[in-house]
Amino acid sequence: MTISHIASRAMWSVACVVVALSVRSADPGAGAATETWAGRAASRALAGHPGLPQLRAPDRARLTPESVALGRKIFFDRRLSLNGTISCGMCHVPEQAFASNELSTAVGFEGRSVKRNAPTLLYIGHLDVLFHDGRETSLETQFVGPLVAHNEMANPSIGRVVDLLRTLPDYRGSFESAFGAPAGLDSIGAALAAYQRTLIAGPSRFDRWRFGGEGKALTEEEQRGFALFSGKAGCARCHVAGTRDAMFTDQKYHDTGYGWWREHIRQSPEATEPVEVAPGVRFNLGRDVVASVSAPQQADLGRYEVTLDPRDLWSFRTPSLRNAALTAPYMHDGGIRTLADVVAFYDAGGRPHARQSPLVRPLGLDAAERAALVAFLGTLTSAGIDELVREARTAPPDNW
Amino acid sequence: MTENRWRPDRRQVIAGPAAALALGATGGLVPAWADETCQSPYMPMITGQEEYIYLWTLGMEGVGDGSDKVVTINVRPGSSTFGKAVASVSVGGRNEAHHAGFNADRRFMWTGGLDTNRIFIFDVASDPGKPKLSKTIDTFVKDSGGAVGPHTFYALPGRMLISALSNDKDHGGRTALVEYTDEGKFVATHWIPTKEDPRGATLVDGFADGYGYDVRALIRKNVMLTSSFTGWSNYMMDFGKMLQDKEAMTRFGQTVVQWDLHTRKPRKVFKVPGAPLEIRFGWGPASNWAFTSTALTSKLWLIHEDEKGEWQAKEVADIGDPSKIPLPVDISIASDDKSLWVNTFMDGKTRLFDISNPMKPKQVYEKRIGAQVNMVSQSWDGKRVYFTTSLLANWDKKGADNEQFIKGFAWDGKELKETFNVDFLKEGYGRAHLMLFGSSKLYSST
Repeated sequence: MTISHIASRAMWSVACVVVALSVRSADPGAGAATETWAGRAASRALAGHPGLPQLRAPDRARLTPESVALGRKIFFDRRLSLNGTISCGMCHVPEQAFASNELSTAVGFEGRSVKRNAPTLLYIGHLDVLFHDGRETSLETQFVGPLVAHNEMANPSIGRVVDLLRTLPDYRGSFESAFGAPAGLDSIGAALAAYQRTLIAGPSRFDRWRFGGEGKALTEEEQRGFALFSGKAGCARCHVAGTRDAMFTDQKYHDTGYGWWREHIRQSPEATEPVEVAPGVRFNLGRDVVASVSAPQQADLGRYEVTLDPRDLWSFRTPSLRNAALTAPYMHDGGIRTLADVVAFYDAGGRPHARQSPLVRPLGLDAAERAALVAFLGTLTSAGIDELVREARTAPPDNW
Repeated sequence: MTENRWRPDRRQVIAGPAAALALGATGGLVPAWADETCQSPYMPMITGQEEYIYLWTLGMEGVGDGSDKVVTINVRPGSSTFGKAVASVSVGGRNEAHHAGFNADRRFMWTGGLDTNRIFIFDVASDPGKPKLSKTIDTFVKDSGGAVGPHTFYALPGRMLISALSNDKDHGGRTALVEYTDEGKFVATHWIPTKEDPRGATLVDGFADGYGYDVRALIRKNVMLTSSFTGWSNYMMDFGKMLQDKEAMTRFGQTVVQWDLHTRKPRKVFKVPGAPLEIRFGWGPASNWAFTSTALTSKLWLIHEDEKGEWQAKEVADIGDPSKIPLPVDISIASDDKSLWVNTFMDGKTRLFDISNPMKPKQVYEKRIGAQVNMVSQSWDGKRVYFTTSLLANWDKKGADNEQFIKGFAWDGKELKETFNVDFLKEGYGRAHLMLFGSSKLYSST
């Protein structure tokens, strides 16, 4: 056993205690900070966790029970959209792994279309780049875009949100208590970041097997799946799983061919659209009929929309695979419904075109290998997500 | 002219207490009978000539003030403003205006916003030609404990029963019935049964989805029915986008629930696939049945009492060619239970079904009303039929096909003949949706 493995084991033991403490039932209002849900959540966020890299937090001192509780309140507050209807929690649904399982792409203010799938916020504090195209690199500033986007929360200005949070009676004193100053862009970002950084659940079976030394935590098939993931299938070249931690992402951008293919479909759709109107009842609807009730669908050029560098066309951030089994549908536009279909997509070499990453190529997997990969992905589901849901729902939004 | 008289049939017995209540409340009300035939039997109704049509209208960006509003159309024959808008009251913002309903005393009209969950209550009695906003309820979600999307407003004595479409937790289709007093005070929430929590109901097909849409009752049988549509995420979404979203298309209601009207307890859950929408009970003394149409699968279903006194659900007819997804939306039953208007949104047609034998409806007439059509309302005598266009803001057709109007027709039993047409885009109102009838005669003794 190497020194790093010994250190990892020691960290595992400590972390297990932290996680065990943190998953006790919420008890808002109890005395000491660690006895409140927000106190436990803040402690959890700041603790080390086996299998996880260090939390990205520019100022750990601002991750306090007060800032976490305030961030949660803001996160679920509908009043912070123009018509008082949309909150962050409507697309990042706690019971759906802080993603949205029921929609391929999100729906915003007055039902306006968002062109991308709402990604999970679990472990968002461990990522360096945010959004599918990496347009933001900090949780402290990430919140501004959705609040003012015409098709998300539609505020006419971010100043309106600041004014709201300074004047709504139920926020009175809360920013001062958490940050020593009235609500401002900096403190709103800090509060939301603090809450989102607590979205860390317990170890997955993979963590226990890989970093906790529990050799039987994974079945033989799942272990074969990981071997394929790291070897023949080449998944780990982008979905990195190290020996000390594993976020299953290189936090870089790749053109798998998927984005190019989807844009090709948008521009040159099939003549008919198969529509399942009830379980097992499918009809092919003419494209003209679909078009008659469709607003123009936005193009999606991926990372290029951030850099305007043609080399970034149709490149998207490698998503983390932690909790992948809970975060369907998949890809940046939610266009693939199951992990088996995702594996099949990559097994077929993605969608070849001139710019496609050379990392994506036909894999030649057989059915048992594809099944093993899917089984392995299922081992990345964190324990204790229910506790995060309870924390999220610790109190109903003030503005129902 | 409004026909204000008691009719010596069973409806008098049913409506008597409510009518008496209304009489007491107004001091001079003479009860009348149903206008559009879907109204709650508890309320006084108009059997003669309706004077006004109140349109709960969706605001539309770039059209007029862009706000949701109640538009009043004068339909008094011979009036110089017949077939024209004579009043408009904006409520501010676009709330996804959808359905509306009168209190049992018919003095107030409740209108709901499916997006913002606001409920706007209009006084239609003080000046029936000019409704005015009387009260706004903006605590629907909080009051109800998480129901979202106030839809049908169904009058019970002293109470307003509201079917919701969604919920605050995931904005999917699981939802509830929510009960308020006539004064707007929250009373209770009754969640629609799910497979996990059937709430004492029998799951006829072993299935319950918890979804909601319409609510109607057959009082003398103590039977209430609810149907099922979809949640906020879908009804707010661009329709074309949704048709192509395989995940979203799995989130539609597949059930009709039979309830005990008086206790509000669910009794049976029937599997009715394809989003059953409007529910219309027959009016006859032996009409122990109701029709509903499924939007996605384009079927007419009959929910009926069998010879053993048990209620059942049966698919009884296709509506158009289901494979083309004509999308049946509103339906309107004739007061004699002989015929049923069925609108199909996608082809803009209305179809008349002969339902003399409710087990075997047969289409006997059809007419294209416009590029799109949603709601249909008929007078009690069936001689006047009105149509509007808007389904949901993001489901309406795009471009030139996004016609927005109310059209009035005379029906002679053979042909619909247009009597007026108000272009809601040209007039700057927006998307024409729900129609309710009004009459000054309801509030006078003459």
